[in-house]
Amino acid sequence: MSAKQETVEDLVKAGYEYGFVSEVKSDTLPPGLNEDTIRFISGKKNEPGWMLDYRLKAFEYWKQMKEPDWAHLRYDPIDFQDISYFSAPKKAGEGPQSLDEVDPELLATYEKLGIPLEEQKALAGVAVDAVFDSVSVATTFRKQLADAGVIFCSISEAVHDYPELIQKYLGSVVPHTDNFFAALNAAVFSDGTFVYIPEGVRCPMELSTYFRINEAKTGQFERTLIVAEKDSQVSYLEGCTAPMRDENQLHAAVVELIAMEDAKIKYSTVQNWYPGDENGVGGIYNFVTKRGDCRGDRAHISWTQVETGSAITWKYPSCILQGDDAVGEFYSVAVTRGYQQADTGTKMYHIGKNTRSTIVSKGISAAHGQNAYRGLVRMGTKAENARNHTQCDSLLIGDQCGAHTFPYIEVRNPTAKVEHEATTSKISEDQLFYCRQRGLKEEDAVSMIVNGFCKEVFNELPMEFAVEARKLLNVTLEGAVG
Amino acid sequence: MSTPTTTNWAQALVQQRSSPAPAAWLDNLRQQAESRLDRLPLPRRKLEAWRYSRIDALFKEKFTPVVQAPDGASLQRPESNSPHVLVFVNGWFSPSLSSLEQLPDGITLKSLAQTLNDEDEQLRQHLGSIADKDENLFTALNTALINDGLFLHIATGIHLDEPIEVFYLNTASEEALLVQPRNLLVLEEQAEATLVEHFLGGKGNDYFHNNITEILLLGKAKLNHYRIQDESSNAWHLSNIFLRQGEQSHYHGITLSFGGKWARTDYRTSFSGAEADCNLRGLYVAGDDQLGDFHLDIHHNWPACNSREQFKGLLYGKGRAVFDGRILVDRIAQLTDAQLTNDNLMLTRNAEVDTKPQLEIYADDVKCSHGTTVGQLDPQHIFYLRSRGIEETMATHMLCQGFAQEIIDHIHLDSLREQTLQRLQHTLKKLQE
Repeated sequence: MSAKQETVEDLVKAGYEYGFVSEVKSDTLPPGLNEDTIRFISGKKNEPGWMLDYRLKAFEYWKQMKEPDWAHLRYDPIDFQDISYFSAPKKAGEGPQSLDEVDPELLATYEKLGIPLEEQKALAGVAVDAVFDSVSVATTFRKQLADAGVIFCSISEAVHDYPELIQKYLGSVVPHTDNFFAALNAAVFSDGTFVYIPEGVRCPMELSTYFRINEAKTGQFERTLIVAEKDSQVSYLEGCTAPMRDENQLHAAVVELIAMEDAKIKYSTVQNWYPGDENGVGGIYNFVTKRGDCRGDRAHISWTQVETGSAITWKYPSCILQGDDAVGEFYSVAVTRGYQQADTGTKMYHIGKNTRSTIVSKGISAAHGQNAYRGLVRMGTKAENARNHTQCDSLLIGDQCGAHTFPYIEVRNPTAKVEHEATTSKISEDQLFYCRQRGLKEEDAVSMIVNGFCKEVFNELPMEFAVEARKLLNVTLEGAVG
Repeated sequence: MSTPTTTNWAQALVQQRSSPAPAAWLDNLRQQAESRLDRLPLPRRKLEAWRYSRIDALFKEKFTPVVQAPDGASLQRPESNSPHVLVFVNGWFSPSLSSLEQLPDGITLKSLAQTLNDEDEQLRQHLGSIADKDENLFTALNTALINDGLFLHIATGIHLDEPIEVFYLNTASEEALLVQPRNLLVLEEQAEATLVEHFLGGKGNDYFHNNITEILLLGKAKLNHYRIQDESSNAWHLSNIFLRQGEQSHYHGITLSFGGKWARTDYRTSFSGAEADCNLRGLYVAGDDQLGDFHLDIHHNWPACNSREQFKGLLYGKGRAVFDGRILVDRIAQLTDAQLTNDNLMLTRNAEVDTKPQLEIYADDVKCSHGTTVGQLDPQHIFYLRSRGIEETMATHMLCQGFAQEIIDHIHLDSLREQTLQRLQHTLKKLQE
């Protein structure tokens, strides 16, 4: 028992590995939010009038809205006037033309994170649209993608270069009226990624964006839009780490996916933002709206997430299955330790015939962590023969944590089939004993069992991410059980 | 259009309360509940507990509380094999329709109104003390208008072998009536009893039956509790059951819901000792313009208690079902074993199911799970039966019965089990027409 106590303490005290601040000169707006803030952001980016109008409309709407309080989360109220809404690394004249021109400090940051751009280029064949704070500083593999007809750029660039696409799709899946944080994002989003895969194209490489919140007190409001035209395919990777902070940082991103007929989008996330210290001070507040729209028949959208960071996670990647035979998937591993809280899950709206969805959610709670799955499965009246299977498992490590499951199931069609299962347990003594008996160290045994518990989800991750996720999980839970 | 508010809808009903209560303490209890009415929100879609229950139409209806014992002379005595039969007409005890044989010493089985006159200490101590959890407008309304109901007290170690059978008859009236029985059951240590409750209403009668049952089981007490709801097709029915279980006590409850246009049952269970067992089962059958609705709140606040919740629904026509089951396990409730399942069978196109099984767990050494399914009959099962020469309607009938029987089979009283099976078959026949 005492050994267990010790190791749990070690775990809690284990510093945040990626907690360092890189000193890059920033062009930061003082805290505060009003119409001028929005005009400033828009002006800074030389945005056309329609973009500014969109932002202002969203801001007007946001002002009327109330912050949601239904989630199973406890946190100090957020003062939205105490946040700086814009921070961009200083640039001398034009933007960097190649990696050589990128601030070396910035590149060093990526080195520390273990994601050297060059190496990744060569080894993994991954094109990285690296977002450092709010402005994209380097985009690689542009040409190779361009040859395939794929557009992969920052949202700011897309607003200038592809205004008709942005006007057509931005906000069409997550409108600014959707929820409090989506409205806020629509008003102040700083930058993000735009991906467009033309008809019949299979994206030649896995696309990836690294996010990193760097400037103190800077909220990061990313906006991601991915459009996959008829019969196209794309796999997108999103990974995050952030430096150590004492104050809570707000992150309210919006991700919109649009899949046309026979298109397939796979969206994978590894989220490892600063979770706060051992007393629950600091850490990122992560309020994200992610939604995919299967607009065509046989469209396929798959969300995979590994959530190990953030003090607060509020995130429900969803699928709207409009087309007949459309498929939606959600695979999630969420780990809460220290004083972390996560309220996460998914929504599957079955509208078309023969639509199918799979939900696999694995929650792991340790120390004082609180982990909630919240999900909705809705079978509409026209969803003939639609199917859903949901599996939610929770693992509790220690007697101070909590695991919760809040599924909502709404069925309006008798031919639809819905199955939901949930279990909650701890690592059993029997399992541990079995492993120890065969000469495994207790820690290795736990790591093995936990990895086995998450296997179904890890299997869904692209290779590079699966390795990282497994490593992350082991580091996160190091010594958590004894 | 003016929207009803708590104040005007509930207060209007409370104003019709005739005389003060026969006892000062009860009057106090009523007054306090009345004063809380203003503060309680009107149940609406926006409140999580009422999200799917669609109750707006209730507030547009005008109800008249039954403030005096009605005359039950014209009514027929319900059939029963039990030696202990209590009949309530519109919420009031009817001595002429009831038959109570001599009870063993240590058992009090009376109407609440009678007991009030006797100044029973047990009643005063416990009435309202178990139902103080999660008060809502309807529970407060019941308390503000307490008149009559069932009172059962069984002293330590006494076993009542024969079942107690209770009938709640809701009669026709020119006005829509508000009927609010208030029941209190106290089983002292090692006491045992079986209670059967029937909720009945004449065809087409329009009324709102809003009952509360408070159950206190002390150490090792055991209660078998069967509830058969077969209200009129125009009735609103709301049952609130508050259960508190002591150490090693057993509660075995089955609720069958057949009638009513809107029928909801709320169970709130908590514990006052370890190693208690709580078994809840339910079956809801809902057809055209019917809602069958179950809400469970099982609060594991003591270690090593077991709970099993199994609920099944059969939906046909435009029937709607709502299931909302929550298992809450406190930090101290280690070694909890809680399992909840909810299965729904949709037999027709326009049926609708909303289900929400929840787990909220703060202890690590527990075994908790829930499972939910919604679907239609498996065509292969039908084919299997058809290939053996059974007509399709008959095959459907058999499969549905098999589905429902998993609940009904847990009724230990043979005659009651037979009776409910017949009731089920009656509904299934309608389905074939």
